[in-house]
Amino acid sequence: MKDVYELLNDMDIDEHEFVEMEVNELEKAKVKRALKESIVQKRKMRSWKKPVAAAVMVVGLSTATLGLTFPAYAVSLPVIGNIFKILDVGKAGVYDHYQEYSTEMNLTAESNGIKVIINNAIFDGETVALTYSIESNQDLGESPYLRGLLNMKGSTGGAGGSKISKVDSSRYVGITTETGFFKGQKPDTVNMKWQIDSIVIQENQEEIKGKWSFAFALEATEADTQVIGQSSEHDGVAVQIGELSVTPMSFIVHYDQLVSEEIRNKWHGVDVDIEVKDDLGNLYSGKGNGGTGDKEGYHTSWSKTFEKLDPNAAKLILTPQIRLYEYTSENYGSVEETKDGPQSAAIPEKSGKGEEKFKMEDIVIDLSNR
Amino acid sequence: MKSNDANYIQRLQRKKEDALEYIVDQYLPLIKGITYKVLSPLGNDGIIEECINDIFLSIWEHAHKFSGDSTDFRKWICAIAKFRALDYYRKNNKLAGLLSQEQEIGTGESAEDELIRMEDQSELIKLIHLLEPVDRDIFMMKFFLGFKTGDIAAKLGLSKASIDNRIYRGKKKLYDKATNLDFGGSML
Repeated sequence: MKDVYELLNDMDIDEHEFVEMEVNELEKAKVKRALKESIVQKRKMRSWKKPVAAAVMVVGLSTATLGLTFPAYAVSLPVIGNIFKILDVGKAGVYDHYQEYSTEMNLTAESNGIKVIINNAIFDGETVALTYSIESNQDLGESPYLRGLLNMKGSTGGAGGSKISKVDSSRYVGITTETGFFKGQKPDTVNMKWQIDSIVIQENQEEIKGKWSFAFALEATEADTQVIGQSSEHDGVAVQIGELSVTPMSFIVHYDQLVSEEIRNKWHGVDVDIEVKDDLGNLYSGKGNGGTGDKEGYHTSWSKTFEKLDPNAAKLILTPQIRLYEYTSENYGSVEETKDGPQSAAIPEKSGKGEEKFKMEDIVIDLSNR
Repeated sequence: MKSNDANYIQRLQRKKEDALEYIVDQYLPLIKGITYKVLSPLGNDGIIEECINDIFLSIWEHAHKFSGDSTDFRKWICAIAKFRALDYYRKNNKLAGLLSQEQEIGTGESAEDELIRMEDQSELIKLIHLLEPVDRDIFMMKFFLGFKTGDIAAKLGLSKASIDNRIYRGKKKLYDKATNLDFGGSML
């Protein structure tokens, strides 16, 4: 049976009776913001669509040694099957093959009548992805916020995102990712510590304090890393593909962006995103992992994780997309910590207005000698 | 990849957020026009804003149910906007009436009219499927989209009297079915 939206689709109405009204940019921005708040609950450090000042969160080095073995946790049966798939935002497919290569954890921590269970975890050499579920004795709203820190030991900083979704009045499932930035060699094993200090019900800002903490080690999945070193340059922006790392469930592209003096003087911000397809016509969906770079964010090293590579692909075709943009109060905020307290930084005047986007020439990576 | 004229419907259906931004850019003037026309008598800009957001959210959530091209899409979202705005109008108008104690008693509304107004529209949708296609369209236009009988008549090439007649018979049929199916408790 059709619902009202399908019935409305069947109808041939005369849309000329409707009259448009004038709308300014601010109104559009307000509607977009309200919609985004409604549909996304993920926190992102830096995203392609809405840039914020690159703020690399510095994780304090902990002196405590974390055990390499699992401490004794109560084993709890997972309530939900493949959370990676359930929570795949927009059905992009990036996480389609994560479940099969992940480690089943079943670590439970309970506090204040709320049970948090880590179901599965995976480390692809770059990013840790955890799926978890919550069993609560009370309704925590549509998407509770877990306040706390997910810490990858030894990393100098990290970027992550999370998403949580309600299953029924007392159960939730979530996914959280953390990409670690390391000086020098990337580790084969990471020690993770996740401590949740409180759970906030977003609807009424009620904070339920408690202590849910987990510590565990994860070994990186097998990865085949190929140094690429190919680059593309256009109008003062260069993109260099550093490494391609292929894991059983994904592949990761590491790339650097370099920006000329001329462009730096003209634009506040430069971002490079990469689109990947192969010689068989597959278009891979991906998820940016954030990046690190200089203070102004011009020279940045990015990485982006894509869905499972088609084993029959012989070539990967990477298309860098450049976005040059102006900082406005809407998309940029920066606070500098000084000895006199926090100072908000003024936005310097530059001639580039609004934003400009362009695609660079493709970079083709030969996979045949893998 | 970004949404453009050629791919935004597909991208919207795949839940790409930039497609949502694209339709806001493209269609906000139209959606605003429709919403204002219906809701401005309430004199509450907050409700209008809320309704506009709600319309876009409905489009986002139900995009996978849409089929057709760009022209059809425009018609579809116009219909959704009108339907949602009327819904807002009915709810808020009723509320305003209750608050000011000005609700007239015995305005001569029939039980059938109340049926159309029932809170749970999903039940009504079930019932509407029992009607013949032509009557279904008439009902959708009349009660979900608030068209005047004259406009419906012109659109379908029928006389006004015939539309009135079909509505009368349709309502009666729905009312009988509803009573038979014992939906009565929840809707009246």
